[in-house]
Amino acid sequence: MTEVPEPRGGSGRELGLSRHYRDIAGRRVLFDNEGFLWSADDWTEDLAAALGAEMGLDTFTEDHWRVLRFFREYYATNGRAPLNRQLAAGTGMRLLDLEELFPGGIRRGARRLAGLPNPKTCT
Amino acid sequence: MKVTFTLNGIPRQVVVDPDVVLLDLLRDEFRLTGAKQSCDKKGQCGACTVIVDGKAVRSCLTKVAKLDGADVITIEGLGTPANPHLIQEAFVLAGAVQCGFCTPGMIMAAKALLDVHPDPSTAQIKRALRHNLCRCTGYVKIIEAVKLAGEFLRGEKTPDELRPDPHGAKLGVSHPRPSALIKACGVAQFTADILAPGALELAAVHSPHPHALIKSIDTKAAEAMPGVAGVMTAKDIKGSNRHNYMVPDRPVLCEDRVRYIGDPVAVVAAETREQALAAVAAVRVEYEPLPALGSPHEAMAEGAPQIHSEWANLCLTQPQIKGDAARAFAEAAHVVEGHYHTQMVHQAPLEPEVCLAFFDGEGDDAQLVVVGRSINIHKHLAMLQEATGWEDMRYEEAYVGGQFGIKIDVTSEGIAAAAALHFRRAVRYIPSLPESMYLSPKRHPFDVKVKVAADADGNLTALGMDVVIDNGAYNSMGNVVMSRAMMMLSGSYNFPAVDARARLVYTNNPWGAAARGAGPPQVNYALESAVDRLAREMKIDPLEFRRRNSLRPGQSKSTGQVVDEWPFPELCDAIKPHYDRAVREAREMGEGTKKRGVGVAGGSFGIGGPNDQSMVAVELDPDDGITVYGAVADPGEGNDSMLSQLAADAMDLPLDKVRLVTRDTDHTTANGPAAASRHTYMSGGALLDAIRQLREAMAACGATTYADMQKAGVPTRYMGTRKTVVGTLDPETGQGPSFESQVHALQLAEVEVDTETGEVRVIRMTCAADAGRVIHPDNVIGQLQGGMDMGVGLALREEYVPGKTKDWVTFKYPTMKTAFDMDVIICETPRKRGSNGAVGVGEMTLVPTAPAVLNAIEDAVGVRIYDLPATPDKVKAALAAMR
Repeated sequence: MTEVPEPRGGSGRELGLSRHYRDIAGRRVLFDNEGFLWSADDWTEDLAAALGAEMGLDTFTEDHWRVLRFFREYYATNGRAPLNRQLAAGTGMRLLDLEELFPGGIRRGARRLAGLPNPKTCT
Repeated sequence: MKVTFTLNGIPRQVVVDPDVVLLDLLRDEFRLTGAKQSCDKKGQCGACTVIVDGKAVRSCLTKVAKLDGADVITIEGLGTPANPHLIQEAFVLAGAVQCGFCTPGMIMAAKALLDVHPDPSTAQIKRALRHNLCRCTGYVKIIEAVKLAGEFLRGEKTPDELRPDPHGAKLGVSHPRPSALIKACGVAQFTADILAPGALELAAVHSPHPHALIKSIDTKAAEAMPGVAGVMTAKDIKGSNRHNYMVPDRPVLCEDRVRYIGDPVAVVAAETREQALAAVAAVRVEYEPLPALGSPHEAMAEGAPQIHSEWANLCLTQPQIKGDAARAFAEAAHVVEGHYHTQMVHQAPLEPEVCLAFFDGEGDDAQLVVVGRSINIHKHLAMLQEATGWEDMRYEEAYVGGQFGIKIDVTSEGIAAAAALHFRRAVRYIPSLPESMYLSPKRHPFDVKVKVAADADGNLTALGMDVVIDNGAYNSMGNVVMSRAMMMLSGSYNFPAVDARARLVYTNNPWGAAARGAGPPQVNYALESAVDRLAREMKIDPLEFRRRNSLRPGQSKSTGQVVDEWPFPELCDAIKPHYDRAVREAREMGEGTKKRGVGVAGGSFGIGGPNDQSMVAVELDPDDGITVYGAVADPGEGNDSMLSQLAADAMDLPLDKVRLVTRDTDHTTANGPAAASRHTYMSGGALLDAIRQLREAMAACGATTYADMQKAGVPTRYMGTRKTVVGTLDPETGQGPSFESQVHALQLAEVEVDTETGEVRVIRMTCAADAGRVIHPDNVIGQLQGGMDMGVGLALREEYVPGKTKDWVTFKYPTMKTAFDMDVIICETPRKRGSNGAVGVGEMTLVPTAPAVLNAIEDAVGVRIYDLPATPDKVKAALAAMR
């Protein structure tokens, strides 16, 4: 094969495509490039707590767990994440409060901590 | 002026302007949307065909003013789902209905023919339907349907005699597709058929430059034009303004720079589409052209400007190293090298990239609903939420007029959703054909240097490949295309040693994404061409060479994955009688300036790639039927048949007790795209898992009915999943997991080459295919026929050139005139991991076609075309060079 001088780039990391394994909460877990769990089945409460601590959420209140449980039960039943208004109705909480409850808000905070797949995951 | 005519048996009086065409009157005023619009009313597609005074006419070319006293019949006047015409039934039972977009026009043209010629020949059918285009079927089943209709009309057969028993066997039977009859009756609603009174109509400003800075956009003149509600630019989009499929590089509307011819810059919303288009022409964009990188090699050159400031032009490199290829090449008895190039192609579904966006509800609680052609509604919903900054959304998949990979990504919906939010009104976007081509991704051009080696006994020993992929201006899922090509690099064969590399490069060309096969067809063209040449130079029969070198269970693909099933040699055996016949005929014929040739090519297409998952829910209903919930798009391949027949078989139910909910994000599981030929394997597998859980739950409580389960307090809804292995190809060696199964095919091309003009006519294609257990034979055959037709277009005619390819004539659409005979041989080797032994087939259909045709050309006239498409000019030039 004829050799061509290598141009810059090419690893894919620049495109932000890499999945990666992390050791967290005592296990090796696969995450996507945006920090979402690759598989919802890998979720545990310990994992959620460890991820929360990384985000600055050291203590989970009953409100936090109610939201995460709602996310997971909704996903288990419907195979998709709830829309925000469904989350608000299901938890009895206001959207503004939900956004402020988690660092990163609902999408990048609560959904991540609930271990639901990234809505943009390409399968 | 006032025109009086009869429409579907009812006298009508209309007052119209002299320029109004019948198609617009039917669709816009009478709300008869069976007649479709594809070609911008240029009369190129025939999807608008109706009957006027007994003759089939293209209603887009027919002025209403000329219809005084006429008798007009549309598809709706022919028959309804409750009372279908025999011709409509024939189309359904012959398996001639796939996406259904062309179907009403085809049926009306057939009716006009059969009224005059009740027993038409193939030639008469081809002539009568010569104005009607189809991308899905390859025309064979349409011709069969017209002949079957003739038999019905002559009383020789009845539909009931042919219709399979809906209470009988569910697998291996061509039960009428659930959607086929409504498509045949013209009442299946595609996006543009949905009434949206008061919706603003959109038109977009597209860049005429491949690379330029946007210095200014002056919308004042456009905003002042009649009917214009406003002009939207990037600053009006509240969200990220990025279509982030995997990389957030593609804007909904360009901000400061355009990167390919067709990049959208501004959107006009007006009361009518004509007003919107007129205002588009009045938008003044000041561009400062920049150097345009027209090829990956230019983009990788030292000092080349960066197309994206955040990402290098060379997006991704993936080597693949197996064994010691350098040594194998050095020791080989025979080596062949070649440098092949495949072209950019528009996938060319007939339906334009139509989109509708409207609000359901009021004020801040309103849900934005997007209706379009998506094959991955949940992912596209998430992308649109991020791009527009509006979270409460729903995506609904209408009936879709084909897609062939084009809808793997968001095309028109970003513009429509953003416009609806900006103008706070319902909007409808019906792009013209050139606009649809600008908005949509293309098949990636591949540049492939290939080297294959064999020992003295004709056993393949080494494969070398250097692949450079033109990603175009935006990534979309270009990295996935590259990865899939690498995972199927060795095709059907055993190569003990491999040294390969692929590179994916941004350019200022139209962006690439999925296109039937998505990577493997391009590399397989190079591989199968090289393998063919190697066989011929070693004076080994090309079919025998392929059979001898097939991968076998226990051997490994180029990725190092060891296979445990590989029914490819059996396909070589199955096609051999056809091959021998073809070779004999070719040698006997081909006198004078027209030479006959025969070529073969194989393909083994992976199914069940790594990192995939599917979720499908089933629910037992009060009538003891079931409803299946899962976002499983069906733009024409027959996923509705697959789901309903698998479910009916597993539950032992009649087909009419299986309901499908697959088309909107509020009611379905997030299930991945109708791409990678994955749904039979993944969603079919998840469906069977859900049904297994339901049946186990019923058995556990002794329930046989819904009522029993309610009484026992047992849930009636179950979620099934299917997951594949997690992993990627090693970044240094390209070794790693690829596919859990494969679909295999071998295709035989018989061509005639006119040595004076360079024209190549395909006489016949034969395909032997093994997709595991067959759920619906006509669907499989229909896919194979349509894929071969598309593959011949790839081989001989099609090339997208932005600004020049702008309608179906310049595209060189396949027609009844280019249609050729096809034979399909189905072998069924149940796959160990298949859904009831079945795997998908939709893309395999064209993986071997181009190399089979090009191999046949070389067989006929001794020239090899290395640069697709093999146009008459190229063949003629090659012949001249050979002389």
